[in-house]
Amino acid sequence: MLKRIPLPSQFDRIIIGGGITVGAIGVPLGIVLVTLVAFGVISAPEMVFFVAAIIVILGALGCVLLPNIVHAALSLTATLIGVAALYLLLMSEFLALVQVLVYGGGVVLLLLFGLMMTNAQDDPVVTDGSQKPFAFLLVSLLIGTFITLLLSGDWGNPTAHVVPFELFGERLFREFALPIIIVAVLLDVAITGALVNVHSTGSDLPEESE
Amino acid sequence: MIPIEYFLTLGAILFGLGLFGVLSRRSAILILMAVELMLAGVSINFIAFASYLDTDAFTGLIFALFVITVAAAEVGLALGIVLRLFRERRTSNVDEASDMRW
Amino acid sequence: MPDISVTIGMQQAWLLPAMPVVAFLIISFFRKILPREGDFLAVIGMLGILLVTLFIIIDFQGFFHDGEFHPGEANVYAFDWVRISADNFLFLIEFSTYIDAISVVMLIAISIVGLMVAIYSTGYMQGEDRYGWYFAVLSLFVAAMLLLVTSGSLIWMYLAWEGVGLASYLLIGHYWDRQSAAEAAKKAFITTRIGDVGLLIGIILLWKATGSFDIQTIIAAATSGQIGETYLTVAMLALFAGAVGKSAQFPLHVWLPDAMEGPTPASALIHAATMVVAGVYLIARFSPVYEVVLVARDVILYTGLLTAFLAASMGLVTSDIKRVLAFSTISQLGFMFVALGVGAVGAAMFHVLTHAFFKALLFLGSGSVIHATGRQEVEYLGGLRRKQPVTAATFIIGSLALAGIPIFAGFWSKDEILHSVSSYASPFVYIVLAGTAVLTAIYTTRLVLLTFFGSPRDKSAFDHAHESPSSMTVPLLLLGLLATVSGFFVFDAVGKLFGFSGGIGYLVYLHHPHAFHIDWAFASVATVSSLTGVIIGWVYWHGGAERAIKARAWSPDLHALLVNRYYLDELYQGIINRVVLGLAGIVAWFDKKIVNETGVDGGAQLIGYFGYRLKFLQTGKIPNYALGIATGILVLSVMVLARA
Repeated sequence: MLKRIPLPSQFDRIIIGGGITVGAIGVPLGIVLVTLVAFGVISAPEMVFFVAAIIVILGALGCVLLPNIVHAALSLTATLIGVAALYLLLMSEFLALVQVLVYGGGVVLLLLFGLMMTNAQDDPVVTDGSQKPFAFLLVSLLIGTFITLLLSGDWGNPTAHVVPFELFGERLFREFALPIIIVAVLLDVAITGALVNVHSTGSDLPEESE
Repeated sequence: MIPIEYFLTLGAILFGLGLFGVLSRRSAILILMAVELMLAGVSINFIAFASYLDTDAFTGLIFALFVITVAAAEVGLALGIVLRLFRERRTSNVDEASDMRW
Repeated sequence: MPDISVTIGMQQAWLLPAMPVVAFLIISFFRKILPREGDFLAVIGMLGILLVTLFIIIDFQGFFHDGEFHPGEANVYAFDWVRISADNFLFLIEFSTYIDAISVVMLIAISIVGLMVAIYSTGYMQGEDRYGWYFAVLSLFVAAMLLLVTSGSLIWMYLAWEGVGLASYLLIGHYWDRQSAAEAAKKAFITTRIGDVGLLIGIILLWKATGSFDIQTIIAAATSGQIGETYLTVAMLALFAGAVGKSAQFPLHVWLPDAMEGPTPASALIHAATMVVAGVYLIARFSPVYEVVLVARDVILYTGLLTAFLAASMGLVTSDIKRVLAFSTISQLGFMFVALGVGAVGAAMFHVLTHAFFKALLFLGSGSVIHATGRQEVEYLGGLRRKQPVTAATFIIGSLALAGIPIFAGFWSKDEILHSVSSYASPFVYIVLAGTAVLTAIYTTRLVLLTFFGSPRDKSAFDHAHESPSSMTVPLLLLGLLATVSGFFVFDAVGKLFGFSGGIGYLVYLHHPHAFHIDWAFASVATVSSLTGVIIGWVYWHGGAERAIKARAWSPDLHALLVNRYYLDELYQGIINRVVLGLAGIVAWFDKKIVNETGVDGGAQLIGYFGYRLKFLQTGKIPNYALGIATGILVLSVMVLARA
């Protein structure tokens, strides 16, 4: 059916296909959630939370499960944007801003560049000694323990408070002035270290034998 | 409105997924991505605590800021290492980056 | 006697072993640079010993009152060597010297014979290999022997016992490039070792009962009844086992005939005069204790009797002159043990003294013959009295002493023994002993006739023969003199002449000194039997010894039995092959299979196996290590949370 639609490029087809898939999943989900809000089962902020949470979790699953490396990087982006939404829900706008800028605009870009430069292959299907079962078991045990414990605790019923930005800035540059400076130095060192590490004496491009 | 447990649970799940990725992925870049997931999960926890419980001295926020900064620096550095590894071994598959004879 | 013993007396008895030890050390270290390889040091050492002995005797004589020896503490010199003391526990080994009449008799024998042998050796060993080393070991031997007879502590005596064994081994094996000599040395050491084990057991038993190693303390404890009778009997029999080994009694006599592989002067000193009487000395020293355990004393009596007879029978058919003398030594030692077995300590020690003189004389005489002709078997000798008159004359004197002809020393001491045996033992013992004395006379006469009389059997040996140099003949003459006159010491008048309270009976005794009486009937019976033996020997072996050869044909089996020494050597070798080597095989199997392969190798292989398996834990792959870290985190968090 897709082929009969007169579309100029494959890419558009993917967008349309992806969009349809997301819509097919998201629209019913949205309707469910809105209904729930309307009936007062969950409050509106909770609905936003669930949406953001689903984006985050799906993105994370994609990042760790997808074999194609570029797809994995893109779903990581989706996750991190979802995390920014969660920060907004937590009433810290500044951090949401920082998250989008640094992660979405910097880290993922860096990862994609590194991916291209190293000619990274897709994650191979490992036939011998794959750690996936052990890792799954381990992680489920660990996280199961954590979640059981935190749910069995009594947190009271706290509410989210907005953090005034000016106060945040003041505190940051007064009490935490030294850590800021140290982090600045650390960034400097990291950049210098990366440059020194990558600096080569001769051939720096991979051979054409690949 | 949103109970704190929701955020904490989500943070734990995100951390767990990141850990799974670190342990099961073969390509170095994919491992780095999974590490980013772990750091994100941890940051959610910190900010949740700062916002809900520690309203006067919101140390969690500041900590999360530092986490983001250091994570960015770390990715830059780690990519440099992956580049070096690739140059030496012609592969970024961590399975094959072993000098053992067995 | 003038008081010249101010500086040297019984307290300085430690000088006796010290001087030859110094001589040994100097000669052994410096013999390459000393002139004549240091043999004069050994002679000087012997002279020094003789001098100190004289001083000791002078000091010793000063402590006699009413004919009994009361030295108080003057005859003891002691210092602590090892002392470990706790609350109720004291382990003490003293170095102590103790001089009494028995020590004095031994000292006279050792010092005189040692000096004679040292002077003789300078002539006999001329031109031999390892000339200096011979004198070094000779000095070592004399040092150990002197330590043995002057020691008051059982541990030091045991040390010296082993020391004389070592010196004997070194001297027997002096010509170690000869296979037979090396084997003989080994045989001597191992056989005496078997006895020494018994001696050590005896020492330990006595220490356990009395808590002391001091000989006089043990004797006092044993005679006062502090030790149980069975226990004491076992301990004293164990001590006697040591004597059996060292003094070559049956069944451990097999080493002495083979020990003749050593140089003849060494044989004269060690295997005739001094070392082999160490056993006699031990039993004599403990004779008060043996009086309490008469069962043990009877064992001594019958062992000595059997040995005396057996050895005399074997000496009758041996053709090597040194070996005849070896069997004769064994037989005479048997006589001494028989005397000890009836409690006649004085007679035994007297025979030690006279035997030392005449047996050393006989050995040195045979050495002279060997030196001159290069032969030791009688098949190659004969008629040598014309070529070696001095040797022949002194040898005949020695033989007469051995045979027990009156005037000469052996008669007096053997007569003392026979007299005490007839007084204190059963008639059977006396008859066997008297028979052995007759046999002694027979084989002695045979030896003299075959060596010095008749026609020479080997022309080249006879032509080559010449009288020995004066360094060898002078000791022969001196010893010949002593073999003649030393018997007179049995008379009280002679003893008093030398400053003692009387004759030998006043010097060495068990309970009371006894004066000497001549029992004319007894003496004449003894004389007649000795002369009978001489006559029988002359009848059979004079001239061409035709009668002896016919006698051999009359009973070839008996002759074979005697020549093969009752096949005891074969029996012992068989036991060693079957029992000892069999047990050794089992132990070796155990050591190889169980200790080595399973224990040591097995343990190592087990570790290697586990190491190999565990090696694969280190894969070198980072994801594996990350999984390990994560597992550790899980475990730790569970532990922490479980505790909370």
